[in-house]
Amino acid sequence: MIQLTNLSKKYNDNVVLDIDSLTISDGESFGLVGNNGAGKTTMFRLILDLIEATTGKVTIDGQPVARRDEWKTFVGSFLDEGFLIDYLTPDEYFAFVGKLYGKSEGDITAFTDKMADFFNGEVAGNKKLIRELSKGNQKKTGIAAALLCDPKILILDEPFTALDPSSQIRLKRLLNELQETQEMTMLISSHDLNHVTEVCKRTVVLEKGKIVRDIATSSDTLKELENYFAV
Amino acid sequence: MLIADLLKQEFRKNFRSQTFYRSLAVKLFTGFMAIYFAVLFLMIGFFLGEILEEVHETLDPVQLINGASIYIVLGALIFRFFMQQLQTINLQSYQALPIRRSTLVNFMLLKPIFSISNYLTLLIIIPFAIRTISAWESGFVAFQFVLNCILIIWANTWLASYLKRKFSHNLKALIVILVIVAGFVALEYFKIFSLFDFSMKIFNFLTIKPFGWLVTLIFAAIVYGINLLFFNRNYYPEKFNEKLNKGENKVVGGFSFLEKYGTIGELIRLQIRLIFRHKRTKTLIYLSVFFMLYGLLFYLSDLYADSTTWLVFCGLIITGMASITYGQWVISWESNYFDAILTKNIPSDIYIKANFYILIAFNILSYLISMPYFLIGTKIIYLHTAMFLYNTGINVFLLVFTASFNTKRVDLMTKSSFNYQGTTYKSFLIILPIMFIPILLAGVLNIFTTYNVIMLIFGVLGLLGMLLLPVQMKLSTQHYNKRKYAMAEGFREKE
Repeated sequence: MIQLTNLSKKYNDNVVLDIDSLTISDGESFGLVGNNGAGKTTMFRLILDLIEATTGKVTIDGQPVARRDEWKTFVGSFLDEGFLIDYLTPDEYFAFVGKLYGKSEGDITAFTDKMADFFNGEVAGNKKLIRELSKGNQKKTGIAAALLCDPKILILDEPFTALDPSSQIRLKRLLNELQETQEMTMLISSHDLNHVTEVCKRTVVLEKGKIVRDIATSSDTLKELENYFAV
Repeated sequence: MLIADLLKQEFRKNFRSQTFYRSLAVKLFTGFMAIYFAVLFLMIGFFLGEILEEVHETLDPVQLINGASIYIVLGALIFRFFMQQLQTINLQSYQALPIRRSTLVNFMLLKPIFSISNYLTLLIIIPFAIRTISAWESGFVAFQFVLNCILIIWANTWLASYLKRKFSHNLKALIVILVIVAGFVALEYFKIFSLFDFSMKIFNFLTIKPFGWLVTLIFAAIVYGINLLFFNRNYYPEKFNEKLNKGENKVVGGFSFLEKYGTIGELIRLQIRLIFRHKRTKTLIYLSVFFMLYGLLFYLSDLYADSTTWLVFCGLIITGMASITYGQWVISWESNYFDAILTKNIPSDIYIKANFYILIAFNILSYLISMPYFLIGTKIIYLHTAMFLYNTGINVFLLVFTASFNTKRVDLMTKSSFNYQGTTYKSFLIILPIMFIPILLAGVLNIFTTYNVIMLIFGVLGLLGMLLLPVQMKLSTQHYNKRKYAMAEGFREKE
């Protein structure tokens, strides 16, 4: 269970995020939408203890995340290319990350085999360094590395952008599968309302750092969101 | 003219880049160094004639210089081969514009000719020509000498970039060249064939004969032509900008024994890969090895060998250069993926420990590599051992602890050799205690006690520091945990 209490982040009096209270329960698939600058990435960075909160705190299973290491064992995340070690090949990167979570070489091979469909023959087994991959393949590498540790909680920022249409569909299928089979908690942000409503059971709309909508996904959700964002 | 426009754009790019206005301290420091070297060069040029008159009984300074010229030119070529930055232009932004490709290639080749740093040696050459050559020969010869030098600088620049494009991924070819050069030196040394006399003939012709400069010009033009030919053969930019260092994966495969040591081993292995896969870090290591030669200068000269403070300075550099230069940016090296370090399962204390171990490993390697100096005498054995212990026990801690003050992203993808991107005044501040405290300490102790006792004191200080390593690591971790948000924020900021 992830809990955000009185969480706010200010840069020079400029409030970028201000959340009174938000609870994401275990196994929930949580979608985050909002325009540029709404505070989506800031919120994820606060949950991942990448930036310091101005006020308030984030707890996972009752334990605060700030300046702790314990939560890192069961949270998988990929926000941007800052999570990739660009001078490794994808295989070396998976090996590195896998070792951090105590995986054996066999575990890692089994994992990349399982992801073969998503990689579409381009990521694993490739001699190219990550920095030479296309944006889409870099994204696949990052997402796969986040999943590699069998996380209880998965946090992805804009996972669908830069992916080709087939990969988007494969990713959606993969995420839905993980929710059903492993009851993984997921936090996913996206600009694409379609994707979010297809993957997430709950959708939260951020605007200027505040939560303005909190909807349980139903057949009307997409319509409601489209209306909200219509100009 | 189009090339002039392109040069102007390049100039603007430099002045409009954000870094140009940042970090005044770095600017001041480099400015100071530039002035220092300029004055030094002028002095050398001014007095070179007198110095050379002393060197040899029968040959005059001009002949001596001409004889040495081939060595100077070859030395400069090798130096350029290793140090000179390959000229590349952002072809993609130009390629789509209606600019002829030949214009772009010419621009790329001509660009270094307009760099001031290429002409620093003229500060030696011109005073020497005016004072000495015009006196021994004539004003015309002096003028022709300077002209030849400029043309040779051009030819050397082009030749170096050609060789680099052609051979930089082919170490074997390079070794062959080095062996050939060494062969000539050996022939000279055993008086079988004198490259010196050969060089004297050629360069005497070039400087003294009326149209000697034309020959140099033709030589420069031929080298330029070879470059043009190269670009004609390798038409597409991906060919000549090819940078992926293939086969390097193998080098690192050898470190798989680190796998046994869990997370800490993985972190160390990762940094070894980082070092071997980036030009900037590799150059740093080469330079550290090069600095070890300082010992030859210091230990064998009467002037320094008896001065305890100089010896301490030299010992510090020899046993600590690698760890100090790499350590100046420790943690910052990983700024590209610092968010991964923070979110993957890497406990902060383990991360800090890994960085300690890497720097300590550098010290151990430096100590081992510099062991041949032990042949000079017990004095050096004591010195290196004491300085190794001091570097390991005290300086490593200072480096890792203060590393968290660096909040500037280090971009490893910029390729030049003397790359100080990511340097701030903080980087200089940290060098002060690391270098000067021990020198100061040695100076003060020198008044009261003997050399051996001073070495003992340094050794004991270092050992005490090493005993306190767990405490040092704990302090560094606490500090790092406080500072990591500021670091991460700074590292995310790309230039």
